[in-house]
Amino acid sequence: MSGLRVLVIIPSHNEEASLPATLAEVRAKCPSVSLLVVDDGSRDATSQVAIEAGVPVVRHSVNLGVGGALQTGFRWALEHGFDVGVQLDADGQHDPDYLETLLAPVRAGQCDVAIGSRYSTRTGYRAPWHRRLGMVVFSGVVRMALGQRITDTTSGFRAYSRPVMQVCQHDFPKDFPDAPLLIALSRRGFRLVEVAVEMRERVAGQSFYTLGKQLYYPYKNLLASLMALMRRPV
Amino acid sequence: MPFLSRTQIIVAVGAVLLAIYVLDLVRRRRLSEEYSLLWVVASVVIAVLGFSTPLLTWITRVLGVLGEASTVFAFGLAFAVAMLLYLSIKLSRLGWENQVLTRELALLRHEVEALRSAERRDRR
Repeated sequence: MSGLRVLVIIPSHNEEASLPATLAEVRAKCPSVSLLVVDDGSRDATSQVAIEAGVPVVRHSVNLGVGGALQTGFRWALEHGFDVGVQLDADGQHDPDYLETLLAPVRAGQCDVAIGSRYSTRTGYRAPWHRRLGMVVFSGVVRMALGQRITDTTSGFRAYSRPVMQVCQHDFPKDFPDAPLLIALSRRGFRLVEVAVEMRERVAGQSFYTLGKQLYYPYKNLLASLMALMRRPV
Repeated sequence: MPFLSRTQIIVAVGAVLLAIYVLDLVRRRRLSEEYSLLWVVASVVIAVLGFSTPLLTWITRVLGVLGEASTVFAFGLAFAVAMLLYLSIKLSRLGWENQVLTRELALLRHEVEALRSAERRDRR
């Protein structure tokens, strides 16, 4: 194992039920990585359970959304000298068994962003039809934009190298860090790699995608993808 | 395509220009995608009404509006009301979040000042 310092960032919004198990599992399976919980304005005991587990917590006074929480995590990672930031969901969907699989291409210097994908090989997961339609559409958008196949653009299980975090701390989608983000990062010259992982059903808590967001999601992401293509990479 | 009046052409072209301007604002990061939604929908609907005279006359008849121009204005007004309501909601939320942040900052400042004075006392 190379000497890269890895921070696992866990954006959490009202996740008191599932967070302790997730933290314990990462600790047990990957003792070499550091953990950070970003409490994104929770109304429950999310911060307390993380503190009890001995994990550093950064608390938002107001809810900023997944993207905003991750951005805070990136800032923290950069200020504390980490080389890689891993995004991992609090709800237990992402199995830390695959953390090393996800980190391998970043460690090897083969890519700047590794995306843990539940679709790139046959795995047990089966999403509802509208999610699958969204996957196909946005996978197609990314493919047209970049000429690269990314099957799971919405995966919340990703590893970002330090240079990527340096860019993302200033410029990151506040709500859905999905297809437009991948297009923008790739246009900046960062290399994306998809890694096959298995995902589990969420243990507890609510999905981030409410009905209103599901209706707004396609508009926002199609427009933002187009804009990511039209903007000159900075 | 037969236009009913010169006004209709002006309105339709104006709506298209507005849509282009709104999208360009998004491209230049002056406007977020979220806020562009209502503007884009509004200008596209007005442009469609303006360019498609049969659709415009049909809607006018179905709604029982006296003149085609009124239909376009009604749609424009509806969007203006929707936008204002949306902005009011957003503004309310911003105000509330601002309060939370101000309170948090005040509490933190108190904490820092207390720590600092304790530190000074310890040093003496």
